[in-house]
Amino acid sequence: MREVGIAGVGHTKFGKWTEGTFVDMLSKAAVEALDDAGIRTVKGHGVDQVFVASMGSGMINRQSGVASALVDTLNLRPAMAETIENGPASGASAVKLGYMAIASGMCNCVLVVGGEMMRVVSGWEGTDFVATMLHPEAEYNYGLTLPAFAGMFTRLYMEKYGVTERDLSIVSVKNHENAVHNPVAHIHVVPSLYAIADDEDAHVINPYVAEPLRMYHVCPVSDGAAAVVLCAMDQADRFAKKPVKIAGIGQATDTHSVAEREVPTDLLAVRLAAQRAYDMAGLKPQDIDVAELHDAFQILEVAESEEVGFFEKGQGHIAARNGETRIGGKIPINTSGGLKAKGHPLGATGVSQIVELVRQLRGEAGGRQVQDAKTGLAVNFGGFGNNVVATILAREEE
Amino acid sequence: MQLKMYAYKCTCCGELHHPKHYACRKCGARSFEEIDLEGEATVVTYTKVYNLPEGYMKPYLSFGIVKFDNGLTVSGQIEAENLKTGMKVKTSVGVIKEGVGKDYYGFIFRPVDE
Repeated sequence: MREVGIAGVGHTKFGKWTEGTFVDMLSKAAVEALDDAGIRTVKGHGVDQVFVASMGSGMINRQSGVASALVDTLNLRPAMAETIENGPASGASAVKLGYMAIASGMCNCVLVVGGEMMRVVSGWEGTDFVATMLHPEAEYNYGLTLPAFAGMFTRLYMEKYGVTERDLSIVSVKNHENAVHNPVAHIHVVPSLYAIADDEDAHVINPYVAEPLRMYHVCPVSDGAAAVVLCAMDQADRFAKKPVKIAGIGQATDTHSVAEREVPTDLLAVRLAAQRAYDMAGLKPQDIDVAELHDAFQILEVAESEEVGFFEKGQGHIAARNGETRIGGKIPINTSGGLKAKGHPLGATGVSQIVELVRQLRGEAGGRQVQDAKTGLAVNFGGFGNNVVATILAREEE
Repeated sequence: MQLKMYAYKCTCCGELHHPKHYACRKCGARSFEEIDLEGEATVVTYTKVYNLPEGYMKPYLSFGIVKFDNGLTVSGQIEAENLKTGMKVKTSVGVIKEGVGKDYYGFIFRPVDE
């Protein structure tokens, strides 16, 4: 199969977008990625296809057909264009489809842009919007939300494996510390572990959101966009920088209704997606140098670090306690700040994870750089784990 | 108005499902019969949520995943304080959301000793 790489990356500052429309936000990330790849948007630009990843532009921004709009805004006509929706895993899905488009031989160069502008609606509407991905009759109508399922999952994990609220705060503080070194992260303030976990008044600044999950165990609501330019490796010399290779992609689904899962502490779609990505890349968990795991809730970073094979089941929180997932540790996780501190604009997240890995593998990650990182794994988690995409990138030796 | 909740039993192999599926997870058959889903159940896990979505006027609600004696696990609202995993609850069907011109019905679980 034809090899595919990433030639350019772009990323808006996550947080609150104040510079115009949803398509303006996508355009900003897209132009940065095109410039990074050295693509001029004039006749003969060579971009064959544009994929936009967004879960809810039609619902919350009242705009549909955003990929068609973006192609025109960027003057990339007559490139092919589609909008991809796969919940919070839309971003990695769009990258996967870009990979397939090039690997098939149908395209040579694909621009993938993920974005979500969520802060145009109230918190109540935003929570409702995200919950629309749940099962309509068995979940959504009850008022169940993603934080509700994360809370119930966390309780099971605590009772089965001894994870504590403090462990979740340790993961949170670690991700906030990483985000300080990421200029595009939403939050650049580091909470102190003492203040959010140990102080007798910790519950005041760190109240419950969905018991036993507290505010500092849950990602913020963010606007933002991220973009990557995918290229055929056999045309790598067209671009300004040496492309980083997509070594493996795996995806798997699980039951829509969370209650139907046989073992409620398993994230089978994560396990299977990662296994497929490792198989395709010919790599093992211990070969990975840096990872971006979908920590919409801090328990997910712990559980995913086990499901992708970094740690034994039930040992992820111990590893976090011991600092093994910090930069400089055994396997640094969420060097970007993760969803917790970098932010989680749904459609952008999967693309944003790839942007971070490319920066790490190129050695462009500044104060959060993992020394000599050659391979990276990203896990983008859709629904409450009912559609998961894992992607492995590898820097080719000179 | 719906005051009953159902399990969907495969007419071929008897496998129970909730919610509804169009192919049996065990044998792949396509036809199901509705069986009343009621009685006592055991709390598998639960949460109390303080940031409810648009459409709820309450400051918080409790939710749980419970297991029926027939092995089916479902999600629902729970009206109880001092919840514990493993505790027994009884099943009722009530209004889980007030819509515009339409109420939505579903499982509301309560402690057996109430």
